[in-house]
Amino acid sequence: MTNVKKEHMQIIDSAEDYEKAIEIAAQPLLDDGYITKDYIQQMFDTIEKFGTYIVLADKFALPHARPSEAVKKTGLSLLVVKEAVDLKDNPVNLFIVLAAKDSTTHQDTLASLAEFLMEPKNIDDVINADSVDQIKTIIDERWN
Amino acid sequence: MKILAVCGFGVGSSMILKMTIQKALKDLEVEAEVVNTDLSDAGSYGADAIFTSPDFVGDLEKRVKNARLYPVKKYSDKEEIKGQLKKMLEDMDND
Repeated sequence: MTNVKKEHMQIIDSAEDYEKAIEIAAQPLLDDGYITKDYIQQMFDTIEKFGTYIVLADKFALPHARPSEAVKKTGLSLLVVKEAVDLKDNPVNLFIVLAAKDSTTHQDTLASLAEFLMEPKNIDDVINADSVDQIKTIIDERWN
Repeated sequence: MKILAVCGFGVGSSMILKMTIQKALKDLEVEAEVVNTDLSDAGSYGADAIFTSPDFVGDLEKRVKNARLYPVKKYSDKEEIKGQLKKMLEDMDND
């Protein structure tokens, strides 16, 4: 599994709340048959049940749920919201949705994502990018 | 020494937490094994310390007897984790 496909990246100015942001972030995975609509609800349920630890770094969240029937194919999608969205008192600008079909295939990708996230500048550079092409370049250079 | 990184399902966030702990251990020049898992399995590892979200501390106290628990707010914040690792090492020295 590679990192995020360019077709699965989006930039928007604002979102009314975090649920809307996650829904928009997950839309490319829904459109391409990676997930069913149930998975989006499961991500919301996970936040209700487990709290906000999916906010892994300042300004960054990794919405996901448990591997289930609602995931047809393992994949990632990315959304930048220029105006920070409130996720239960955490301001978030960058959402990366993780859809995992099982608990192993995505592990290498997550390991390199972890390295990417440890450097706050990487997150800021993605948030400040002007285009999806720019985001793709940043990610391909620093998350591999 | 065995450190457990725990999240809700053991698939995404705990993997990130594990990587950050490993990196922080390297910076501190401390050797330890780090394993990631979910809440329900956390009791079966016999870990020396458990790193997890503040939201899970209460739950894990019930599930894992005599566990040393170190809450971490941001799983990819290496400095926060370094602070908790230092605390863990002090706690172990004081035993």
